This record gives sequence, structure tokens and C-alpha cells, in this order.
Amino acid sequence: MAANKDKDMLDPRTKAWSPYVAGAIIGLLQIPTFLLMETALGASSSYVTVAAHIASLFDGRVAEIKYLASHMWGPKNWWQVAVVVGIAVGAYLSMRLSGARRQPISPVWSRAMGTTTLAARAPIAFLAGFVMLLGARIAGGCTCGHGISGMAQLSVGSTVAVAAMFAGGILAAALLRRA
Amino acid sequence: MSLLNAILIGLATGIVFGIALEKSRVFEPGVILGQMQLRNFIMLKIFLAAVITGLVVLAVMNGMFGVKLGLKPLLYKADIIGGLILGAGIALAGACPGTTLAQIGAGYRDAWFILLGGIAGALFYGYFDAPLTALFDEKGAKVGFDQMLGLPFWMVALALAAALTGVLVFLEGWRPWRQEIGADQDGLVSSISTAAPGISAAPRHS
Repeated sequence: MAANKDKDMLDPRTKAWSPYVAGAIIGLLQIPTFLLMETALGASSSYVTVAAHIASLFDGRVAEIKYLASHMWGPKNWWQVAVVVGIAVGAYLSMRLSGARRQPISPVWSRAMGTTTLAARAPIAFLAGFVMLLGARIAGGCTCGHGISGMAQLSVGSTVAVAAMFAGGILAAALLRRA
Repeated sequence: MSLLNAILIGLATGIVFGIALEKSRVFEPGVILGQMQLRNFIMLKIFLAAVITGLVVLAVMNGMFGVKLGLKPLLYKADIIGGLILGAGIALAGACPGTTLAQIGAGYRDAWFILLGGIAGALFYGYFDAPLTALFDEKGAKVGFDQMLGLPFWMVALALAAALTGVLVFLEGWRPWRQEIGADQDGLVSSISTAAPGISAAPRHS
């Protein structure tokens, strides 16, 4: 039984892989990222790239705002946008191959917040996304850039940011019901 | 590096990343909120496994082949204030900026609203970057623990990788991952009697 389960471990038709195997695969992605892109894995600055382009359709001053303008062009900015698009594609393929279909919202929200419909969940999700990226951009990175990449580089700042991130998460989660 | 090559490399990297996030179930809101509620440790397990692998990979690449690292500067106010806000957002979203896209791919519809909110939040920050940076008034150095200790990067990286591996061995002994996945692979388990006495198990929704 156990041997059979282990044989399924890298099978795309299996619904759940070991977190240790999956985590190691993510860590190995630093190799092509450092060698080909001369940067580390990250996710949150891609939101700035997309946001700046959308905003530039409505606001001609965007290109004059240094922070937004610096995220708009160039291979590294678009590489990261491609990474997060690829994450959605990879997750979709993985879900289709294993048949692990999802409901419109996770059942955890009914347990934690009494939210059972997408309409009730949507405004909370929007607000949470706003807070999440505001924090990530103040800190200069997220779970990926500060967490997985920063800690793997022994960065003191990233370790401080990750500690604060877990502290903020644990404090906010304490306000919700335990599922 | 041409733009097209960068995009192709990014897509390939992202697809592998997305498969790993979906298979490991760490993209599940039940797993991410569960980690912040300290009742599910799958997120910490994946996180540490990725950090350990990254430490070993970078110890070899930097120590043997001289590949340059790219640390972010140490900015106490920005790191702590930003980190606290980011963490609160992660708990309420049940996602982080990367796993939001995995949720979209896997079929969670509310993740589209997290994405829209995230784009709005990133834009809001973009407009207020200059005054916020001026308010914090910090000059950060790109400092690593290896420099603080005065030891080579590879040595400290491998030592930390070994220590964190010990943490993972403990975590797996304490909370085996197969018992945390849940019947529908969403991080929701009906029986949590082993670790959290006094908290009654809610009935499963299916």
C-alpha cells in the first residue's frame, strides 16, 4: 500500500503529492531562474506590471511615476508576468489530469466566515487581495520573493519580512472561526 | 535576453511551479488559512522544503560557480509593516500573490476577485510609493546572515539547510502530511482531536 502510494508520487494523475517533493521542485526552479534570468523567483511585482499597463490606458501620468514606470517594460518584468500566468496554466493542467475539481469557493469560508456563496465571498476576496498586494509592495516582496527566494539567500531583511508576514497572518486568522 | 525568450522561460517555469502548487495542495484556502490558524502545517512544510532546496542549490551555484546572489535590502520599517499587512491579506484571501493564480487555474472563482483586488492594491501602492518611502526614510543594505557571521555563504546556507531539515523531520513526525490533506484534498479534516483538544470538529461539507 505504502509502496503503491509512493509510486504515484510524481504521477500527474495523482491528486496530492508529498509537500516535501513539491517544495523541492519549487526550490529547484531557482536554477533556471538564476542562470537564465539572473534573478530569483518572485510573484508580487508582476501585479505592478499589469496594474501599471491598465492604469496607463486611463492616466497619462503613469509613465512619469518612477515606481510604476520601472515595472512596465523589459524582459524581467514580463518574465514574472509569464511566471504567474504559467502558474495558472500549470494548476489547470494538474487539476484536469487528476480530476481534483473545485467548487466556486472553498468550503473553508463557510466554516471560517459563514460565507457560502461566491457573491458573498467576492467583496471580501477583493479587499483581501488589495490588502495583500499593498503589504507585499510595502515590504518589497511576498511569500515567494521574500520567503522562498530571500530566505534561501540568507537575506536578513527577507527573514524579518517573513516573520512579520506570519505574525500578521496569525493575528488576522485569530479573528476568524477555526474551521 | 530577448523579451520573447524571457516570456517563454517564464511560462515554462510557471507551469512547473503551478503543477507543484496544485499537487502539493498548498494553494488551497483551507491549507493557507489553516496554517495561519495553526491547525494545518502543509504550507510550512512546502515552504521549508523549497527554502532548503534553494539553500543547497544556491550554496553550490554561488560557492562553486560564483553565480551572483540578489538580496533585497534590509529595511526594518518597510519589512515589518509591509509584512504584517501582507500576512493579514494572505489570511483573509486564503492565498498569497502566487497561489492566487493557482486557485484561478484550479477553478476557485473567488480567486479572480483576489487578483483584481491585488492589481488595485499594487496600483494604489504605485501611486503612493514616493511619499511612503519618504515617510519610512530608510536606507537599507543588502545584508545576509553569512556576512553578519563573517562566514562564506555556502557554509551558512548548508548549515541552515541541515537545521531546517531537522525541523521538517520533526513536523512530519508530529503531523504526518497525509493526515492533513483531507478527504477532498482541500486541507479540511474532520478529525483534529490529536492536536487540538477542546476544539470540536465541524461536520464536513461535501
